[in-house]
Amino acid sequence: MNLEKVIFGFFVLLAATLNFGFFLGDIANPDLHNIYELFAALAVSLIATVLKFGDRTQIGAVHLATSLVADLQLVAASIVWVWANEISAQGMTAVHTASMVSLSGGALLANLVSVVLLVTETVTFHRG
Amino acid sequence: MSNPLLVFWAQLFSRREAVGRVPSQAHIESAAQASSAIFVVMRRMRAPLITLIVIFFVSVVGLTLIPGVAPDGQPARLNLFESFYFMSYTATTIGFGELPWPFSNAQRLWVTFSIYLSVVGWAYAIGSLLTLLQDRSFRQALALRRFTGKVARLREPFLLLAGYGRAGELLAKSFDALGQQLVVIDESSERVDALDLASYHSDIPGLRANAANPHHLTAAGLDHPFCSGVLALTNNDETNLAVTMTAALLRPDLPVIARTVSAPIAERMRAFGTPAVVNPFDRFGDHLRLALNAPASYQLLTWLEAGPGGELPERGHPPTDGRWVMCGYGRFGREVTADLRAAGLDVTIIEAGATDLGERGEPEPGVIVGDASHPGVLARADLASAVGLVAGTDNDTTNLSMLATARKSNPQLFLVARQNQPTSAALFETMRVDALLVPTEVVAHEVYAQISTPMLWRFIREMPAQGDEWAADLIQRLRYNCGRELPALWKVKLDAEQAPALGGWLADGKVTLGDLLRSPEDRKRRLLVVPLLLVRGDEAVLTPDGETILKPDDQLLFAGHGSERRELESTLVVDSTGAYVLFDQQIPSSWIWRKLSRKNRTPSTLDDRSDASSSHV
Repeated sequence: MNLEKVIFGFFVLLAATLNFGFFLGDIANPDLHNIYELFAALAVSLIATVLKFGDRTQIGAVHLATSLVADLQLVAASIVWVWANEISAQGMTAVHTASMVSLSGGALLANLVSVVLLVTETVTFHRG
Repeated sequence: MSNPLLVFWAQLFSRREAVGRVPSQAHIESAAQASSAIFVVMRRMRAPLITLIVIFFVSVVGLTLIPGVAPDGQPARLNLFESFYFMSYTATTIGFGELPWPFSNAQRLWVTFSIYLSVVGWAYAIGSLLTLLQDRSFRQALALRRFTGKVARLREPFLLLAGYGRAGELLAKSFDALGQQLVVIDESSERVDALDLASYHSDIPGLRANAANPHHLTAAGLDHPFCSGVLALTNNDETNLAVTMTAALLRPDLPVIARTVSAPIAERMRAFGTPAVVNPFDRFGDHLRLALNAPASYQLLTWLEAGPGGELPERGHPPTDGRWVMCGYGRFGREVTADLRAAGLDVTIIEAGATDLGERGEPEPGVIVGDASHPGVLARADLASAVGLVAGTDNDTTNLSMLATARKSNPQLFLVARQNQPTSAALFETMRVDALLVPTEVVAHEVYAQISTPMLWRFIREMPAQGDEWAADLIQRLRYNCGRELPALWKVKLDAEQAPALGGWLADGKVTLGDLLRSPEDRKRRLLVVPLLLVRGDEAVLTPDGETILKPDDQLLFAGHGSERRELESTLVVDSTGAYVLFDQQIPSSWIWRKLSRKNRTPSTLDDRSDASSSHV
């Protein structure tokens, strides 16, 4: 068992599950989407990105690309939340919630690709 | 490969593919070496970056969970955004204070904790980054990357110079003066630093690497389309051999010049293609023989090889007969002794180690075994009756002390010395020896003569056959026309590109060299230009005279100053100037006047070409 692979798989999977948990629920209802979950998803996604640094293989490059996409989407979702909460006068309206959650939905797709890549890599691994 | 057509195809084209593929593969590998360093940095930065992210996450979330008090007395917590903002300016030590309102003590407790945590995190991350930047292999990889980029961007013909020692430096200066671009590889970082510090006109890329490694040679542009030649001038014969080999295998089309002092290595170099091998000892022996037989030829040779701006050297008066004493019978001693004997001179040999002598089987006649720096040993060679002495050991101190002793016992001796270290130059200069071998300079001059203009090399090879009086005469002409400093040497090919104005007249056999070298301002004045060589097909004429009739595609090598060169070029390019200089005819230089005066023009071949060449007017 390779400890590096365990940590790597753990973070990639955790980023996807947290993201999924946040995305779940009525897209326009702010009560169903906990902001702490989004923040945790962002932090884990960043860690997963850093873990993918320095891999020179082709699959490593795609891994890094998907992670960067997920980061970008989650950062955008967080900015929407900050905008709605702190700057706009209306607060968390249904429109703001919907755009925040749909952005995180994009990140979820990227995270799913990451998981698929991880599974593919594991399945095609031949020892010796 | 079961398909017969495929097999046929492969046999037909595999050779060509292989030649084209090898350099590119080597290039990819050297580029990969450079980029791998970037991956190492990213890999090593993983732990510090993750630590930072975790610390940030924990302190931001923690701060939102700790209860605080709003100004109106109601319990209130910071939300994620406020907490993130606060932690950002606190962790980066900017510190705007407690925003949006004063903290409760519980919050202050958490903030204290997270400040220490984040300071440790930042220190760790920045420390790791700085350590990586100082990392030797990383810096080397960066330097290699910068170097390959510089070489890849070169868009002019360049020479690849392996070894930037004394010879390399002298050559780099000469070539830089000629406007020839170079790329340098040297194993010593001091030499590469010296390259950076030296003030060259062009920016010469230098790489600190072992030239024997084909990847480094490829990185230095061996497979670059603009690479025009390879010079292997390191101090190490093995490295030079490796460079010669690599160049011959990867780029068989390139000329290679290699330096060696060993005959077996020279043989092994010649096994790969046709490199020009320069052996400084061998060349010095040839020069010494030339100096003995034909002092003026030797003087001319050293002057021409000195490069642009070289001072006219003094003409020596070596003794033409008598007995010579040879101190030090190593590789250098053997070459020189053979040359002296070939010139019909008696040679007495002094050698400290008997082992060197034993190699040839029988002891040579006239050999004295002993340390030549010992006065008693020199006395046995009977210096009083000798005419010349060669101090040719590989130790400068020994050579100098021998010279001093010899001069004391016989002031009339013709002294030849070998200088090994560049630092001894001042000492040998004050000794005022009659002929001094500095191997690096011999190599530099030789390579310069071979590479700068191929016609100069041809001239130098054919020159000794012309005799001493001819050489003395040519030196007189050069001095009269160009002064004591060697003028620029340049070549002209009389073709449509370089001499468009002469085309028709050349074909008719109307142009003589003497007429061509008249001044465009006043054709009675001769240009201060000396024609050194005329090459027509395979035939070469040294110092062609004014009566020579020029033909199309003749190549000429001239010596003369830049101003004279420009005047000659205007004769070659401008129709009206050419007509005046060659035939004393006035031709209108504009197209309209030419059309108007077409009828009363004296017959010449201008009619057919006036339209084509009017753009030059």
